[in-house]
Amino acid sequence: MNSLVARYSRPAFQNEGYGEEEQQQALADFASPLSLNFALPPVASSASWLRAMTDDHSNPNCPIKIAHGTTTLAFRFKGGIIVATDSRATAGNWIASQTVKKVIEINSCLLGTMAGGAADCQYWLAYLGMQCRLHELRHKRRISVAAASKILANLVYSYKGKGLSMGTMCAGVTPSEGPALYYIDSDGTRLAGNLFCVGSGQTFAYGVLDAEYKYELEDDEALELGRRSILAATHRDAFSGGFINLYHIQEAGWTKHGFSDTNPIFWETKLKKGEFSNVTSELV
Amino acid sequence: MNHNPQAWGRPRDDVYGAYNSQYLPQHHGGPSAHPTTHTQSPIVTGTSVIAIKYSTGVVIAADNLASYGSLARFTDVKRLKPFNRKAVVGFGGDVSDMQYLDRLLSSLDVQENYSHNNDDPEDTKALMSAKNLHTYLAKVMYKRRSDFNPLWNSLLICGLDEKNKPFLATADLLGTTYSAPTLATGFGAHLAQPLLRKAVPDEEASQKLDKETAVEVVRECMKVLFYRDARSMNEYSIAVVDEKGVELKEKEKLENQSWAFADQIRGYGTQTV
Amino acid sequence: MAALSSYSMPTEQPAFSFQNQPQSHASGGPTQHSFYPYTDNGGSTLGISGSSFTIIAGDTRMTSGYNILTRYAPKLFRIGGEGPEHAGAKIVLSVVGFAADGQALQERLDMVVKMYRYQHGKDMSVHACAQRLSHILYNKRFFPYYVQAILGGIDEEGVGALYSYDPVGSYEREQCRAAGAAASLIMPFLDNQVNLKNQYEPDAPQGLEKPQLQPQPLDRQTVEELVRDAFTSAVERHIEVGDGLQMMVITKDGIEELYSPLKQD
Repeated sequence: MNSLVARYSRPAFQNEGYGEEEQQQALADFASPLSLNFALPPVASSASWLRAMTDDHSNPNCPIKIAHGTTTLAFRFKGGIIVATDSRATAGNWIASQTVKKVIEINSCLLGTMAGGAADCQYWLAYLGMQCRLHELRHKRRISVAAASKILANLVYSYKGKGLSMGTMCAGVTPSEGPALYYIDSDGTRLAGNLFCVGSGQTFAYGVLDAEYKYELEDDEALELGRRSILAATHRDAFSGGFINLYHIQEAGWTKHGFSDTNPIFWETKLKKGEFSNVTSELV
Repeated sequence: MNHNPQAWGRPRDDVYGAYNSQYLPQHHGGPSAHPTTHTQSPIVTGTSVIAIKYSTGVVIAADNLASYGSLARFTDVKRLKPFNRKAVVGFGGDVSDMQYLDRLLSSLDVQENYSHNNDDPEDTKALMSAKNLHTYLAKVMYKRRSDFNPLWNSLLICGLDEKNKPFLATADLLGTTYSAPTLATGFGAHLAQPLLRKAVPDEEASQKLDKETAVEVVRECMKVLFYRDARSMNEYSIAVVDEKGVELKEKEKLENQSWAFADQIRGYGTQTV
Repeated sequence: MAALSSYSMPTEQPAFSFQNQPQSHASGGPTQHSFYPYTDNGGSTLGISGSSFTIIAGDTRMTSGYNILTRYAPKLFRIGGEGPEHAGAKIVLSVVGFAADGQALQERLDMVVKMYRYQHGKDMSVHACAQRLSHILYNKRFFPYYVQAILGGIDEEGVGALYSYDPVGSYEREQCRAAGAAASLIMPFLDNQVNLKNQYEPDAPQGLEKPQLQPQPLDRQTVEELVRDAFTSAVERHIEVGDGLQMMVITKDGIEELYSPLKQD
């Protein structure tokens, strides 16, 4: 009743514009940039509304095209972990970028990969980086990969059904765990494993990786296998391409092994090693 | 999340339900015919508002008709609302939303009058300018669209800015704003805007335009609109805002109409020859 | 019973346990019809960064459908600086897409940058500003701003910095980027002229060893010419681009604004 009286006893213009709560919210946003309070569209089913606006697969004509990432892989072997990705981002059929950094450096020994919504991966892995640093400050030691991946999994699970899209891998080597690799996706799935490929080019990457993979690989063999798997995916999957981004993680931390153009690597693989015989090099 | 390579990362039907294009307009793949809704479209509407800037002020005009669909329902609805002696707002679109906005502006005006003496012509420092008013109305419109509860209007806000230079800008139901030397909403954007732009192609030309020519151009445009806009009428309001204040005439009649072109029209309705 | 029939029955062929093809919402379930809160106001923007400057440009036409709403609606905004005139600002934001969302985004970022200066007593770096813009966009992940943003400035080493964004905030630092209606016309041109894509050393012999041309930082005059060429060409082939070209050149000394007319047809 009081609020009703208040509503009608003040000038009409005070009912228009932003209310007390919304202003508080705006101010709070300035205090903490990585906020968990997201604006929602004022409709009954916000997930369905968001899907209508952004699902470029169901409706190629949808108004808002979100950048999507595509082939990523990571595997454990005796010398640590190899992480490899392509670098293409597509918005519908448009190649939005050929130079995306899909390996996200969470800290000096933890890497995350990015597939699905590019913004989702960037934002939540940045958030994870923050949580990992806080863990270090609170407990005076580095977070385990298991714990880090669980923070992320629990987080995205709380947004399940809201429309997030991400398939990510957390990889790191810690003294307690050795090389550890986890797959987390926006359904809330969290899996530990030796080998994962994620994204629209995953099947092609699995094909090469599964055929050649063994735990006893040497470092250079492992790097080459990672590179070759991504190359296969960029060759057959239209949504993958650009550059091959390669990382090797050891207990001392990760090392980067180049961000290299696929095209010369493809021709080198074909002409010097005789692979990709499906492609002719002569004009017939 | 869909794990099939072709649709990787996209929502899956069994989790999110089928793709619902009902939210989209037709050109983005939405349905070709939406069901009739009575709360999300305008009912009683006003047609075009047109305005032009000249060297020392602005001329704005709108006819006095409020239509109910194709019915010419109310014939003395004034759609130009002066705010203070520096600004006039012209309303196109829904009339009830216009009246709501008018009440909103009245209460704002009362508040403004408490904080400063509006009657003293020397004291214009704190007087809300047309530019301030435009910013305010644009925020109201954008907030309402973000709540999915739009005020179904397109507004022209004209008058003088804080430096007493002519000001003309618009705000619509989505909160979109823009400014130009000549503006027209609704059907006027198609019929009157070319004529206005012919008189005033750019900012430079509007600074050279005198008041009499500006009024003449606007009257001419109102006539052309009456010829072809089926939701218009021959009685209109016209306002001139300059340093002397607002000069508003609400019962103007179209003069010197010439319907000589009418018998040249072919091929409309049942007439085929 | 209706519910039962929607389950796929086991067949001889291998199949997924769920519908593979996207279904459209034709049958069953309540539907809510709601207001469509977006429009596309057309236009295009473009940014190129050099070794000591960044240029951001945009046309000034604003459209709605086939109507030209106005011939002068700037898409470039100064961010930060003093007062409403942004005096001394060194960051430029360009937004293209839905103009009202662009305006809201610009106001929001400007407030953040000004508050930062007020609270910390120093200007925000472009790097920080870029990350912050990403977070502002992501904050509306579920009700996105319908905009493509490009942010430009000078980084802490004095090198030109350019960041490009998707509508929900994924971002990347790049040498050049085109956005908006004519992005698909301008971007290939920039790939060719700035990134020297698919160009090889002409004098080297044919073969696998033939080296690719490496992109070099361009000087300011070359970049300005590239920008003008990109826009005059886009105007020829896109109806939503034209009227005027607004350019902002950001150097360590501040922002220089240039305007030149484009075709008005």
